[in-house]
Amino acid sequence: MGAFEYRQAEEIRDAFDRHGVRYLFIGKSGAILLGFPDTTQDADLFLDKTPANGRAAVAALRQLAFALLVDEAADIERGKDFVQIKSGPFDVDLIFSPDGIERFEDAWRRHIDVEGFRVCHLDDIIAREATGRAEVRESLPRLRAFREYWLRNSAKSP
Amino acid sequence: MGADSTRGATSTGSRNDIPREWIEEFEAAARRPLAKRFRYAFIKTYKPVMDDAPFRAFDTTADYRRWCEENLPSWLGYGRV
Repeated sequence: MGAFEYRQAEEIRDAFDRHGVRYLFIGKSGAILLGFPDTTQDADLFLDKTPANGRAAVAALRQLAFALLVDEAADIERGKDFVQIKSGPFDVDLIFSPDGIERFEDAWRRHIDVEGFRVCHLDDIIAREATGRAEVRESLPRLRAFREYWLRNSAKSP
Repeated sequence: MGADSTRGATSTGSRNDIPREWIEEFEAAARRPLAKRFRYAFIKTYKPVMDDAPFRAFDTTADYRRWCEENLPSWLGYGRV
């Protein structure tokens, strides 16, 4: 399996939209969508933890050729906090309760749309990264600097 | 943010103490279309153990972190601080 490609990001965006999945890109993949120049391996998606949203996500993922067994689909529908899927055309992590963010609704209110991709606000991305593993936390100073740059430039945009 | 908290940067000074190299990187990224940013950003390297199962689900993030600590080689960087 190769790296996550833009075309695949479009496919997951469109499939999630078709199935009405409430999701937000989070983690480094979210920061990259907002313009942060860095590298990562996986797409991290924060999903609203409701059975209906879990069912919609399973349907969308299956449509994208993710091979999900019955038990695995049930784990997603139940909204297990952290789900790692490597049985599809690209790797994806589904996160139902990210550390540092109280409720999906709060993050949704602050989210940014980038070419139709729903992305967590950088403040939420940073809040979660600050609770993460050592390697992730090492990149925080640069991510915080990017936040300053991004906020300034967002303010300038019409 | 002070210069002492930065990593991999050697100069400060332009916009409110953001290292100049970083500003240049942010500006270069902003000029690239999203599809190109993707091509530069997403990479794939094999991660032993981590990549060896098609599916894993954890009840809590703490369970996931514990699993990483107990099962992944430390050099992968998934350990705790």
